[in-house]
Amino acid sequence: MSKSKIAVAITIGIMSFMMIYVMLIQISIASDDDREEIEFLRETELKDLLASYKERYEETNEKIVEAKNKIDEYEKDEKSEEDTVALLEEEVKQAKMLLGYTDVVGEGVIVTMENNVIYGEEESAIVRASDLIELINELKLAGAEAISINDERIISRTDIFDVVPPLIHINGQRKASPFVIKAIGDINYLESALKIKGGFIDSYTLNNYKISIESKQEITINKYEGELTLNYINKEEVKK
Amino acid sequence: MNDKKQVSITIGLMCVVLTCAIVVQLNTIKEATKIVGTSYAEQSLKDEVLRWKENYESLYKNLEETEEKLEKARSEATQENGRGTELEGELSNINKLLGLTELTGRGVVVTLSDNTTVTSEGISVDEDINDYVVHDEDLRSVVNELYNAGAEAISINGQRLVNTSAITCSGTVITINGIKLNSPFVISAIGNPESLYSIERTGGYIELMRQTGAIAETTKSNNITVPKFSGALSSKYMRNVE
Repeated sequence: MSKSKIAVAITIGIMSFMMIYVMLIQISIASDDDREEIEFLRETELKDLLASYKERYEETNEKIVEAKNKIDEYEKDEKSEEDTVALLEEEVKQAKMLLGYTDVVGEGVIVTMENNVIYGEEESAIVRASDLIELINELKLAGAEAISINDERIISRTDIFDVVPPLIHINGQRKASPFVIKAIGDINYLESALKIKGGFIDSYTLNNYKISIESKQEITINKYEGELTLNYINKEEVKK
Repeated sequence: MNDKKQVSITIGLMCVVLTCAIVVQLNTIKEATKIVGTSYAEQSLKDEVLRWKENYESLYKNLEETEEKLEKARSEATQENGRGTELEGELSNINKLLGLTELTGRGVVVTLSDNTTVTSEGISVDEDINDYVVHDEDLRSVVNELYNAGAEAISINGQRLVNTSAITCSGTVITINGIKLNSPFVISAIGNPESLYSIERTGGYIELMRQTGAIAETTKSNNITVPKFSGALSSKYMRNVE
């Protein structure tokens, strides 16, 4: 083989390599649709987004481990019918707790909001349904796992309405001031979410409301007393 | 000689292809850097966000597969076990109520959108451009009315509302279940379509929103799909009272 042929072969080799390399970079840049979504986000938003993906990753990981453990339990060889029933009962208990079907206990905060009626004054502060909805939303955002207002458990389906003021309907039950809102969750998160400067407590105190917050290591929250049904879903495709 | 010709042609072709690839490549990079801006730190932050998004998404797929396996293992274990089958049914019903499964059924779809035909210059002085935009408070109020009218399951732009769902706003975007959403907001609610449609009543919140300037529309449907909740329902701090 002549020298020139070897040189040509090497040249072609290097060129092919470069070409493939360039194409790979090219493909990885061009195919990134996701990139467009975050293109105009500011740095703080990016950091928030990153934190939220990391958090969701962790949560998902925990759930996978949990599910795998359960699979192992169900697939154990020497297992009696009673064992299976016990496993299922535990799962049902756990699910009922998440749904709000059980009384629960844990650390958290208790917020008390009270009507502040000043006779003859315009600044009277009456607690409205919208105030309670806002407070519940703040608590959920701060990671509250269970919430109740005057012992009425707040679940996703809870509706809160002003009836003849100053009465408020919660889950169809009439409630009156003072409103005692209990929330179980991380005390630090819950407290700081409400106490932050310009936050919920600040703005309501400014508007003459009587509002206070205390944290406790043991708060008991009553179960949801109603019955939850699904009457309007398609029955035929109940998944087996 | 013939051999040499062939080689030259091959090299020639390759050069053309390579040049094309480089040109395309350079253009893409130019465009990308134009949008991205100049900060290298920001660029690497974006890369990290994308990497974690990918990580999360593939892990979530993994979770879905694992949960399917769990369901299978559960139903195999309860075969020929009367009490077990009963409990399994109860569990699957609770999971539906929790929002952990996709549901389809009858109900209404409420669409709320920003009125983009209006600009802050185009309105009179005593009007507020904010009245023409859908806020987190609007969504909370409409959802509250839907539950009052008997809604059994609700999602907004694909985000299922569960016990822990918060609806908040940061700047111009609305966040539900930690996911950012933009107008139009499509609220799908399963329940009695006639009752749910009562949110269109005079004096209701929908009417109020229309009066102030946002766009709202409610339609009944026999085929509503509400996706499942994709987050985690946590119980780190609460435990059952024994």
